[in-house]
Amino acid sequence: MHTEAHLNVGEATIKLLEQYGVDTVFGIPGVHTLEFCRGLNKSSIHHVQARNEQGAGFMADGYARASGKPGVALVISGPGVTNALTAVGQAYADSIPMLLLSADAASYTLGKGLGCLHEVPSLTDTTAPLTAFSAIAMNAEEVPLLLARAFSVFSSERPRPVHIAIPTDVLEMPVETDWEVPELPMRPAPTAKKIERACELLRNARQPMICVGGGACLAGDAITKVAERLGAAVIGSINGKGIVPDTHPLSLSAGTVRREVQQYLQQADVVLAVGTELSEVDSFEETLEIPGKIIRIDIDTRKMNDIYPSEVAIIGGARASCEAIANRLGEVKARAETVTEVARIRREFRTRLDAGQLRHCKVLDVLREALPDETIIMADVCQLVYTGTFAFDVGKPRLWNYPGGYCTLGSGLPDAIGARLARPETPVVTFAGDGGFMFTVQELVTGAELGLALPIILWNNEGLKQIQDDMILREIELVGVTGINPDFIALAQACGCHALRIDSAEGLVEAINTAFNADRPTVIEVRERDPWLN
Amino acid sequence: MVDKRVKTCGEALVELLQAYGIEVVFGIPGVHTVELYRGLPNTRLRHITPRHEQGAGFMADGYARVTGKPAACFIISGPGMTNIITAMAQAYSDSVPMLVISSVNNSHELSLGQGRLHELPSQRELVAGVSVFSHTVARPDELDQVLARAFAVFDSARPGPVHIELPLDVITAPATFVGAGAIGKRYRPGPSRAAIADAVALLKAAERPFIVLGGGAQNAANEARRLVERLGVRTALTVNAKGVLARGHPLSLGSRLPQKPVLDAIQAADMVLAIGTELGETDTLLFDDQLRINGQVIRVDIEPEQTTRNVLPSMSICADAALTMQALYDALADFNPFDHRAVVAELRRASDGLAPAAYRAHGRFLDLVAETLPDVIIVGDSTQPVYGGNLFYETAGPRRYFNSSTGYGTLGYGLPAALGAKLALADTPVVSLIGDGGLQFTLAELATAVELELAVPILVWNNKGYGEIKRYMVDRDIPTIGVDIYTPDFIAVARGFGCLATTVSTRAEFIEALQDADSASKPTLIDIPEELALDW
Repeated sequence: MHTEAHLNVGEATIKLLEQYGVDTVFGIPGVHTLEFCRGLNKSSIHHVQARNEQGAGFMADGYARASGKPGVALVISGPGVTNALTAVGQAYADSIPMLLLSADAASYTLGKGLGCLHEVPSLTDTTAPLTAFSAIAMNAEEVPLLLARAFSVFSSERPRPVHIAIPTDVLEMPVETDWEVPELPMRPAPTAKKIERACELLRNARQPMICVGGGACLAGDAITKVAERLGAAVIGSINGKGIVPDTHPLSLSAGTVRREVQQYLQQADVVLAVGTELSEVDSFEETLEIPGKIIRIDIDTRKMNDIYPSEVAIIGGARASCEAIANRLGEVKARAETVTEVARIRREFRTRLDAGQLRHCKVLDVLREALPDETIIMADVCQLVYTGTFAFDVGKPRLWNYPGGYCTLGSGLPDAIGARLARPETPVVTFAGDGGFMFTVQELVTGAELGLALPIILWNNEGLKQIQDDMILREIELVGVTGINPDFIALAQACGCHALRIDSAEGLVEAINTAFNADRPTVIEVRERDPWLN
Repeated sequence: MVDKRVKTCGEALVELLQAYGIEVVFGIPGVHTVELYRGLPNTRLRHITPRHEQGAGFMADGYARVTGKPAACFIISGPGMTNIITAMAQAYSDSVPMLVISSVNNSHELSLGQGRLHELPSQRELVAGVSVFSHTVARPDELDQVLARAFAVFDSARPGPVHIELPLDVITAPATFVGAGAIGKRYRPGPSRAAIADAVALLKAAERPFIVLGGGAQNAANEARRLVERLGVRTALTVNAKGVLARGHPLSLGSRLPQKPVLDAIQAADMVLAIGTELGETDTLLFDDQLRINGQVIRVDIEPEQTTRNVLPSMSICADAALTMQALYDALADFNPFDHRAVVAELRRASDGLAPAAYRAHGRFLDLVAETLPDVIIVGDSTQPVYGGNLFYETAGPRRYFNSSTGYGTLGYGLPAALGAKLALADTPVVSLIGDGGLQFTLAELATAVELELAVPILVWNNKGYGEIKRYMVDRDIPTIGVDIYTPDFIAVARGFGCLATTVSTRAEFIEALQDADSASKPTLIDIPEELALDW
């Protein structure tokens, strides 16, 4: 019996996604995606309705960061895709697996510039620079092949967004075959020879150090073991924060931005860099000074000899590679002084802070005390978060998130919604500055509609504070950075959320505890100028 | 005292923009663009900060549609540019001039993929797809050349968005060799004598002619009226050509182009003169009836390729619409005109009889807006009364009714574009017409409207969700999904932003609210319940 014969491409695509383990898609339906919607109704997949496709993209990003599984955004051609581009760019910069599934204009109109609804000269050319690949399915049977390719990227390559576009006429085509999930590849294992060379360097190192990035999220145990056996200090990137717990005696947290950490890194004679770009966004330095020999472990071959050429270049999955190093390291004496040095440097983190950072620390300390250890922080880019990167401890990977690479504004709230849906049993909180919060403020409505318990710490420093500071520093007259704010409390309530302004540490703690048990998101406004932060 | 310090490229740039007549810059300053702002306070350029770069682009679009002139946008690398792409694509689709100036990473870092702040593998490639051109300024002395090229496009070609990106090191580089002023006046190409002679011959041989005018004729209302009257021929206007023939002109079919009686008349015509129009599906396809042309076709367009798309021409003239219509008018001095007035009246009557009642009601609603606020400019989103208005609303002149339902068909345009229009024409009533679904796309721009104290009535057509998409789902037998969405209390939302806000339930209340809103000191959101408004 041909039970599949009556499915069209839109329906069959959704069914296949279900087989790939997709349980949630984020999007906004439109005239061009109706046939996907037909399939969604017959599936177990949860469709989450954002208020702008940018929100849908960020939600997919947050879902992926919290779950480790690809996030899926389902959008219309044209504006749906271009609205989602910033979220795709953020996922690209931070190596987050994301599937952007869209419609495209009818296949017989493509490339002709006919002025069709939602037309761009080439939708896939528009997304190509932001994706691992971007492709159009010009007939039905290309769809399962493209999805197999996408999920192969997610399972084995440096994860990055993939865009698959299906023209409206293809969406309506009948599907005659059963679409199935093929065998998917795994991340490559390192070669024994390279591992041996790395071990030799590490064994003979006078002062080894380890830099970990987002690519090492699954390698925490192995890296901790290697660090302890060597007595090596560990520095996280923003995305590597918590892979070795911030509270570990060898951890320098994600402190690359601190001068004392950069100086300490210069003392290393061997640096093991795992799944990290050693990017400027971690240090705010165009180039870090790393005189030591660098062992790089990465699955992206292009990372091996970028700004920091490697002495030993290991292509391999982070966990497999670090486990191999731990196994092959052999007899080695742990460097004894490191723990003392790390403790001294960590103490220095709380010195030489400016007035703003001192206020940040006060709030962050209250938050750390109030939030359960397993809380996922999905933050927006703001000054509070810059300080938190080194002044707020987390014990596991992927608990501390903000898009440091692409440095988008407005991702915090929708990312938190995505994370909350991915991990319903885990507390999620977002920190956002007032300027950034405005970029996606409408997603409050989505959060309210979903009835999510989500504390939103709104850090109100009255405008685009970082840019104000930059203009002042460069002696540029302030232009366009001190815009007036809405009444955030009234606005959040009108969007269906709870909202309150707090003026004490106790008030903040109580508000968070209440918010975790609420039937909807709660905006908790914290004003930088309030006296309790003096 | 003379400032001896050598200007940076960033400072030279704002001076050049001023020299080219740019008046407004929309942008959200960021770490990468602060140096574009160094020189700004020394110019007359007005800077507007929206709440999202998408808002910046839509505001620049609204500004350009009412003035015909580009505004500039200052946009940060990476997320700023990906945020503005949708607005650029809408402008690209509707041939709206827009100058987008952005930063990009240092020139010695481009293409290296080092994970720099805001980095994209190639920002220029990303933007090129929605721009007339996208250029990376590699050296300071290119700056005045590339700006000249941008204005050559705006003033002499089919307009659209232009993107110029300056690497961080170029923005701060000394502008020693950058020319200080604008290039000389630019003109648009006219038709050749031979082309006019051939067109005249075709027109004189025609027995059942038909004229279609598109957005390319927006600056040619006088020329269009004179030519149409000399020919005496029925004329349809696309949505972007609304008002090129004024409301009530006896030869104008308004924008009833997608309706079957009009499409049948075009199909039966033996000669179609199509000027400045794509003849694209968003102009012609609203119902199931397609545009078919069996007769001869003369196409006039400023862009050569455009004369061949959708409908192949019998002859084509690549030239400015106004110059071509003027030349045709002059060459047709002895023309024995048709008298299509009765035909037009009959086509109007037949079309209106067939139209869905709701669309007629939308048209009446917009007429009520125009009666209440004479000379009003109505800036719409993709929302149901806009679709009805596209068919039935008629204006006294061009550039008074536009929306995002044509071309790219984006949502969230109607609010920020109205703000851009109001900034350009402070003394003219400007109304934003937007659905409850669309408003949520760019909701934060209410804060911009409050900050700027713009008296813009924001008419929220509230059908609690995505009415248009829901209609399609029901038509296709798809159980509705994601279209009956939770809608916030827009009155409270608007007040939270600092706007005035009111709900109306009768015609009289609406009129009063609209008048109050137009003379208020800040924006007013007027929540309009669909089921009541259809009867006003």
